[in-house]
Amino acid sequence: MPLRQSRLLVCLILLVLTACEREAGQPQSVYRHAIDGVPGSLDPAHAGNVYASTLVVNIFDTLYRYRYLARPYELAPNLAEDFPEVSEDGLVFTFRLREARFADDPVFADGRGRPVTADDVVFSIRRHFDPATRSQGAWLWRDRIVGLDDWGRDGADPAAEIAGLRALDDRTVRIELTRPYPQLVETLAMALSAVVPSEAVAAHGREFAVRPVGSGPFRLLSLDETRAVLAPNPNFKREPLDLVAEGFTPSLHARYGLEELDGQRYPMIDRLEVHFIPEPASRWNSFFSGREVDNLMLPPEQAVQVLSSVRPLVFQPQIERQFQTYVGQETGLVFYGFNMANPDMGHHDDPARERDNRALRCAIREAFDWQARNEIFYQQLGEIYPGVIPPFLREYDAALPRDSIDHDPAAARRHLAENGWTAERLPSLVYGFESTVERRQMFEQFRAQMAAVGYPSEKIRPAGFGSFGEYHRAIINGEVDLFLIGWTLAYPDAHYSLQMFYGPNAAPGANLFNYSNSDFDALFRRASTLSPGPERTELYRTLNRMVIDDCVVIGSLTRTRVHLWHPRVRMLPDREVLSGFFLRFVDVQGPAS
Amino acid sequence: MSHQADLPALVLRRLAGALPLILGVTLISFLLTVHFGPDQTYALIGKNPTAAEVEQLRSELGYDQPFVVRYADYLKRLVTLDLGHAQATGESVRAMLARTIPISVLLVAPGFILGTLLALGLAALAAWHQGGALDRIISAVSVVGMSLSLVVILIGLQAVFGVWLGWFPVRGWAVSGPADYLHHVAVPTMAFVIATLGYNVRFFRAVLAAEMTSEQVRTARAFGVGPLRIMVVHVMGSSLLPIVTRILFSLPLLVISGSLLIESHFGIPGVGRITFAAITSGDQPVLMAVVGLSALLFVLTVTVADLLCRLVDPRVGQR
Amino acid sequence: MSTLALQTGQRIRDRLRHDALGLIALTVVVAYVGIAVGVWLGLWGAEWSALSGPGWASPSAEHWLGTNRLGQDILARALASTATAFEIGVLVAVATTVLGALAGGLAGYAGPGKVDDTLLWLIGTLEAIPFYLLVAALVFALGGHPLAMHLAMIATFWTSTARLVRAETQRIRELPFIEAARVAGLAPRAIVLRHVLPNAAHILLVQGTLVFMAAIKVEVVLSFLGIGVQDSISWGVMIAEGAQDILAGQYWNFAAASLFLFGLVMAANLLADQLQDALDPRSLDSRWQPHG
Repeated sequence: MPLRQSRLLVCLILLVLTACEREAGQPQSVYRHAIDGVPGSLDPAHAGNVYASTLVVNIFDTLYRYRYLARPYELAPNLAEDFPEVSEDGLVFTFRLREARFADDPVFADGRGRPVTADDVVFSIRRHFDPATRSQGAWLWRDRIVGLDDWGRDGADPAAEIAGLRALDDRTVRIELTRPYPQLVETLAMALSAVVPSEAVAAHGREFAVRPVGSGPFRLLSLDETRAVLAPNPNFKREPLDLVAEGFTPSLHARYGLEELDGQRYPMIDRLEVHFIPEPASRWNSFFSGREVDNLMLPPEQAVQVLSSVRPLVFQPQIERQFQTYVGQETGLVFYGFNMANPDMGHHDDPARERDNRALRCAIREAFDWQARNEIFYQQLGEIYPGVIPPFLREYDAALPRDSIDHDPAAARRHLAENGWTAERLPSLVYGFESTVERRQMFEQFRAQMAAVGYPSEKIRPAGFGSFGEYHRAIINGEVDLFLIGWTLAYPDAHYSLQMFYGPNAAPGANLFNYSNSDFDALFRRASTLSPGPERTELYRTLNRMVIDDCVVIGSLTRTRVHLWHPRVRMLPDREVLSGFFLRFVDVQGPAS
Repeated sequence: MSHQADLPALVLRRLAGALPLILGVTLISFLLTVHFGPDQTYALIGKNPTAAEVEQLRSELGYDQPFVVRYADYLKRLVTLDLGHAQATGESVRAMLARTIPISVLLVAPGFILGTLLALGLAALAAWHQGGALDRIISAVSVVGMSLSLVVILIGLQAVFGVWLGWFPVRGWAVSGPADYLHHVAVPTMAFVIATLGYNVRFFRAVLAAEMTSEQVRTARAFGVGPLRIMVVHVMGSSLLPIVTRILFSLPLLVISGSLLIESHFGIPGVGRITFAAITSGDQPVLMAVVGLSALLFVLTVTVADLLCRLVDPRVGQR
Repeated sequence: MSTLALQTGQRIRDRLRHDALGLIALTVVVAYVGIAVGVWLGLWGAEWSALSGPGWASPSAEHWLGTNRLGQDILARALASTATAFEIGVLVAVATTVLGALAGGLAGYAGPGKVDDTLLWLIGTLEAIPFYLLVAALVFALGGHPLAMHLAMIATFWTSTARLVRAETQRIRELPFIEAARVAGLAPRAIVLRHVLPNAAHILLVQGTLVFMAAIKVEVVLSFLGIGVQDSISWGVMIAEGAQDILAGQYWNFAAASLFLFGLVMAANLLADQLQDALDPRSLDSRWQPHG
């Protein structure tokens, strides 16, 4: 064995040497992008998280995308030629595709990428309903498209027709819905909906997830646990960048040097490296050393080192001089949820106990100190607001009373006492968390704050889980009573967060709280069919108030994202709504420092 | 000589005798990881699944099969070297191992070689000056080394060389040439040397010191042979067996246990890191491949060590 | 008790009386025990989880070693962790020694045969699985049990004790006084417990100390990886916190926990040396592979 290892070693060193020479030969413009997690699989059907999305939307094409610079987010056609034609009743959508080709790959006949067709779109959505795909996105279209669920249930026969999902010709797709779905187009901007060639899926099987072939702006050169290397896909041809159409506003964007890029074809760089760096410290060092990556999403711990003030947010002068900066909000929220299925503190058949339990949850909410959480863990770089509709959404209700997020230990004590919650009677709660240092510290902070209103510390028991999957399992199986949730909106619509409280979505669905309220459910069903407008906004706000009034959650907090990058990179970085569309527009001038 | 004539038969016998061991290793690991380990379903499921979809995924993952069937299936695939695909990424496990093992080897090799040589050198010095000041200093250093926690060493070195001095990258493995390689391997190598030095020095010193009093060495000294020659030829020569055995036995441990923490901490895509990720997420195909492989490595090591013993000293093993 | 076992105690006393280093090491260990006892009695360290000050405060009269990110007193946490370390170290060392002694003693006394083969197979099997892989898998398998980490360490550490005891037993069983006991009609189990193991006491003592140390070091690694101590505080948890604090330029948490850990392990290491020199001077040092 030692002999074999040493031979391997020699081979490797030789390989590394030759690779080095080859690379040194050609000048390249390289953008090195750091993200804070590792994408699991690059199969679009599994791209439910931001890390996979970042790569998937750039290797594959989605029918729609978000405009580069417009905020709030606005949809734009991508692989689709335009927005769909929609029938009167809102049930039939017709999409027209633009001309596009897949990247060259041995899976195609003669190795040349073939044109993308409507059949590919049908195949890509349909395969979510084939159990063998292990889709993470089927839920987006479940019970929505005529005949699609049945197709999956009946054995996913590739030859079978689906009434509601058809290719009318090479470049036209027709989708027929079972009931109105105002968010359909948004789902077609998600990485989960990206278009894949059936040849690649057939040829690679499970390995398609690490050997993706698509029609997006880049193609994958290499992938491991620490980084992905991509190069432009020569077959990707779109109209040149139109800054105005992308939402360019001189007052906001003039300082980024983007004007020069107007009218250029993208992608503009020769090589894109995406580095996966989960550890905040490493991300920081990799950026400031200047050697390893070109951008940094500021870890809150280090905010003090670049900011001279948080409110208002002001960078230190030398940071402003040295780097480009952008400050925005995450399209997501962080909050605590209760497991309402636990009769000790959740729903209860006995109305009197139900009332007591609600009082208990509300008292816990009052005892929790969001300010302290924000200060210690987010360096104040978070916005705290009542309910689950974050401020970046149009439906956000600035007029909501803030008592549900104010720290009021006196009121908490009073409410506990008034409802007969003595130290002896208080139920023992299991607080679940992923076993990271920060999550454990958050637990200790929470427990100490509860102790301050007389909740015995031994009655708030920690349950740490070694992985997200295990944590998720414990929540779904009702093993924990109280848990912190980070929920990223995959499209900018309050529907995405309110669905977490819809009764039929109870665990294992998105309603991890097992919240069950028939009034809520009826209103939610109604809101689900409405297009944006005052009526829907009013309904969303009512639903939000119900969640607040029933003390189902303690929340919420939305983090401020602070981005820094080296000025030689011309871009506006973005990772919100689970995407990374901006990467196709990045340009780099001058060599890496 | 007779004992050499039946060497191949002996090797075969050894390997056959290792069969129960490999069965035991795989059975225990399989039981632990498959029967009691993390359930991957909820890491691979979508954001809003139904109970039926959860069941469907479980059946895709094979979780609905009885244990015996799954174990038998695993053994069958192990024999045919069909290691399957990682559940999390879909990558073929064989490709994963081919990608990660060389990195791990490159990562630990310098530390291992340097650490062993340094330890041998220090041990030789200490043994030569047995009882003297140098011996005491070296033994003090080795006790300190043994008392340091690997975690503390890692964090400390990273803070000093990566953050404070900024000489070396703090993480990753962006290696595209010898310069990059040295750059990335420096801090892990230091960590490795510091962590193992204390243990190795002590062991080697004890072995060498015992040999120093032998007839052969005393004779050589009396004849005025130089210290270096005595040390290398006589002392190390005759204590080659325990030294080589120890080095051999630390090899299998090294490849997985040794690099697990270093790779996790420094974000290096080696076999230790994928193994730990597989443990925490319950990625059974990856885990079982690593277990199977390391058991094989272990058996090979034991066999090789045994053979070496016989070559060096034919009396060994005549029981 | 045989005279051999009595001699063991005498030899340790002699050794320590004549060696300053050993005495210092013993004093240090006793001091740590004192800290742990104080924690158990509630004299100090009880407030390890309280938010008693501002976050990342520098050392002051109130917080001698400053506070961590949450504003918890670092000294209180380091002291409370001492008790945790002893709980883990002692429990694992005692359980490992008992298990290893019984398994090794019985198999060694039985001699070549089924019992011995089974034990060797089990030891070989456990040792062939990479250490952290086995421990982590066990921790996960015991999912959430408060003693999951302890049990995982016991399950992996007992093998080396058993190996040594087995070898020693094979030597002792050939000695005349065992033969005498056998002729007197004592059952094998009684012979092992009353005559063989007391004479292997020196091995058990040295091994126990080494396991104690290994358990404390491995705890740090496991807690650092997030699969160690759950509902308590330990040096490992503090070091993991400290690693993050360092990024924000805060060193106290890391330094305090590392030094507390180093002090105890170092003293235990020196003590183990003295024990070994006193009891078994000719044995080759087979100290643990560096797992932690």
